[in-house]
Amino acid sequence: MLNKAIEMNTLTSPLHLTSCMILVFFILSYPILTSLSPKPLKTDWAISHVKKAVKLAFFTSLLPLFLFLNQGTETIMTDWKWMGTDTFNLCISLKFDFFSTIFTPIALFVTWSILEFASWYMHTDPNMNRFFKYLLIFLIAMIILVTANNMFQLFIGWEGVGIMSFLLIGWWYGRTDANTAALQAVLYNRVGDIGLIFTMAWFATNLNSWDLQQVFTASKDMDLTFPLLGLIIAATGKSAQFGLHPWLPSAMEGPTPVSALLHSSTMVVAGIFLLVRMSPLLENNPTALTTCLCLGALTTLFTATCALTQNDIKKIVAFSTSSQLGLMMVTIGLNQPQLAFLHICTHAFFKAMLFLCSGSIIHSLNDEQDIRKMGGMNHLVPFTSSCLTLGSLALTGTPFLAGFFSKDAIIEALNTSYLNAWALVLTLLATSFTAVYSLRIVFFVSMGNPRFTPLSPINENNPTVINPIKRLAWGSIIAGLLITSNVLPMKTPVMSMPPLLKLAALTVTLLGVLTAIELASLTNKQFKTTPNLTAHHFSNMLGFFPAIIHRLTPKLNLVLGQTIAAQTVDQTWLEKTGPKAIVSLNEPLIKTTNNIQQGMIKTYLSLFFFTLAMALLLLLT
Amino acid sequence: MASAYLTHQQKVLRLYKKSLRHLESWCIFRDKYRFYACLLRARFDENKGEKDMVKATMMLKSGEEEFWANQHPQPYIFPDSPGGTSYERYECYKVPEWVLDHWHPSEKAMYPDYFSKREQWKKLRMQKRSTSLL
Repeated sequence: MLNKAIEMNTLTSPLHLTSCMILVFFILSYPILTSLSPKPLKTDWAISHVKKAVKLAFFTSLLPLFLFLNQGTETIMTDWKWMGTDTFNLCISLKFDFFSTIFTPIALFVTWSILEFASWYMHTDPNMNRFFKYLLIFLIAMIILVTANNMFQLFIGWEGVGIMSFLLIGWWYGRTDANTAALQAVLYNRVGDIGLIFTMAWFATNLNSWDLQQVFTASKDMDLTFPLLGLIIAATGKSAQFGLHPWLPSAMEGPTPVSALLHSSTMVVAGIFLLVRMSPLLENNPTALTTCLCLGALTTLFTATCALTQNDIKKIVAFSTSSQLGLMMVTIGLNQPQLAFLHICTHAFFKAMLFLCSGSIIHSLNDEQDIRKMGGMNHLVPFTSSCLTLGSLALTGTPFLAGFFSKDAIIEALNTSYLNAWALVLTLLATSFTAVYSLRIVFFVSMGNPRFTPLSPINENNPTVINPIKRLAWGSIIAGLLITSNVLPMKTPVMSMPPLLKLAALTVTLLGVLTAIELASLTNKQFKTTPNLTAHHFSNMLGFFPAIIHRLTPKLNLVLGQTIAAQTVDQTWLEKTGPKAIVSLNEPLIKTTNNIQQGMIKTYLSLFFFTLAMALLLLLT
Repeated sequence: MASAYLTHQQKVLRLYKKSLRHLESWCIFRDKYRFYACLLRARFDENKGEKDMVKATMMLKSGEEEFWANQHPQPYIFPDSPGGTSYERYECYKVPEWVLDHWHPSEKAMYPDYFSKREQWKKLRMQKRSTSLL
């Protein structure tokens, strides 16, 4: 009887899993489709339809999660064939495996909290319904990306999140900076897309498929360096790695819910998620792995350095996100995709919470975003500032909070691997910088006395703000523990190592905190410290990278255009090969002919008769 | 009476104000800022009675150079000022005023005081247009 029950369960659980996940898609699409009707939307459509749909979708997606955790059910569902030849087909193919089954509930949970927060943050906005619709379309595109089983569907999701990011960053389109930032996001993502499209073309021509299963099996003994480099370029663009990173801090022009959802938890991890999905291909290619490792290490240190001297609270959190994405890239370079995925999941909770706390503080201070004009929030908004501290602690990897389980595991894996020591040093340095800038935020925002004028009554009475932050706070505390205790690691971690290596992350973080406390206490003192302005300027101006690249690229293009117009068209085509060339070729001939015929008739006649006489003489003799 | 050229006084005062603002960006805590602001004020006050314009202009020039060297790369800008975080944020919701002419009479009846004076205001504006530059 029990055996029969177990047998029934194992037969039907893939069906349950697939049905629930498809139901999630339908629940999320329903508000979008109903908003297409000509009837105007009700004022509370955003809360009554969109937030409710996401909440319902979250609870629906929990069943597949539990089925997976209990029985290890994974399914691939292939549906409608769109087009294809005999050998190459494009279908809707959904893969509900370890990564997508765990990521989907987390993304839905974070989105649910952010939507509830956004109903307070954007409540004065006349287009709030449209804002929620954009966020929902983004969420659907993200889930399409995550559950895609072929490259084409992944590309649809990839482009979808890129477009929604553009629309949401430029939400306040009357603002010049917002439009510039949105365009920047699109252009940098496009450069990354070149890599993805190249990889897709390579797969289509060499492996004759875009289906992940066929790609993995058919590429067993092939040299995959080129497509993998293409994928790394795509991840560099989407996940703001060094080289294509300036769009992420600029994306803070969008409203805080957009920053919380897109640019911290979900969209920016799409690049890392792509590499995690393609990890079977990456395993056997040391070139690609080393590229990931070095690129990730450089990114994490560079962006952590930039975060040290920023004064806009959202920019600090944005650079923090970029630094953590670099850390995820390092993990992929260590051939530990599951650890990278674990960090994606835990990072989503505390980073979204940091953004929501910042948003709550910004709104309370009448849109003041500069930490130099905050202070004393500990007494004014105690719950929010506690959650800010909690999020910062989770970010720095405080033992047994969410970030610890992923971050500490990554640093341990890095320490015990026999790979690049330079990458190790950079990552450890970046970990200490994480502690420094986190303390900087808490010091300037929560501690001390207020440095702003008391204009508005600051309170935490609104449950629409407090409940999302509370939920994400719970997530920041227990998510790491929950995931690691329910999921088996795919690779055996190194169990024994010298105590120094084991405690390296903690030591480095503590050193960072102590340095930061010392530096922060110096800001209060009266003696004039002469800061090292060069270093400060390097950090504050983001390494001068945007200042140089955003002017160099257009300048090179314009110079090229000028060269084409002046040298190629004017000089070459018109002067050297075209009309003027005819002149310059004919002129010597004309001159020579002219010189010969000078009009000296007598000379010509005498020469003619002389030559005639000579010829006749020769003939007759 | 404003003209195209700034007077010496205006230039000095502008230098003083922007150095104070950048000092505020550097010295975050108010008591420290107050201390250095008083020192800065004393430096300006020391030379305020200078009668020789050449010397005064040279001092102003060296002051501007000192400001340029010590300025903050990300000075504090008020949110609604140009360059601030919420500058022009609500431009996309602003509607031109000729839209008011297209309101339905029932909507106009909700604001009788304004609309009763509106025609007169428009007439005044047309008259002014022929005489002023704005």
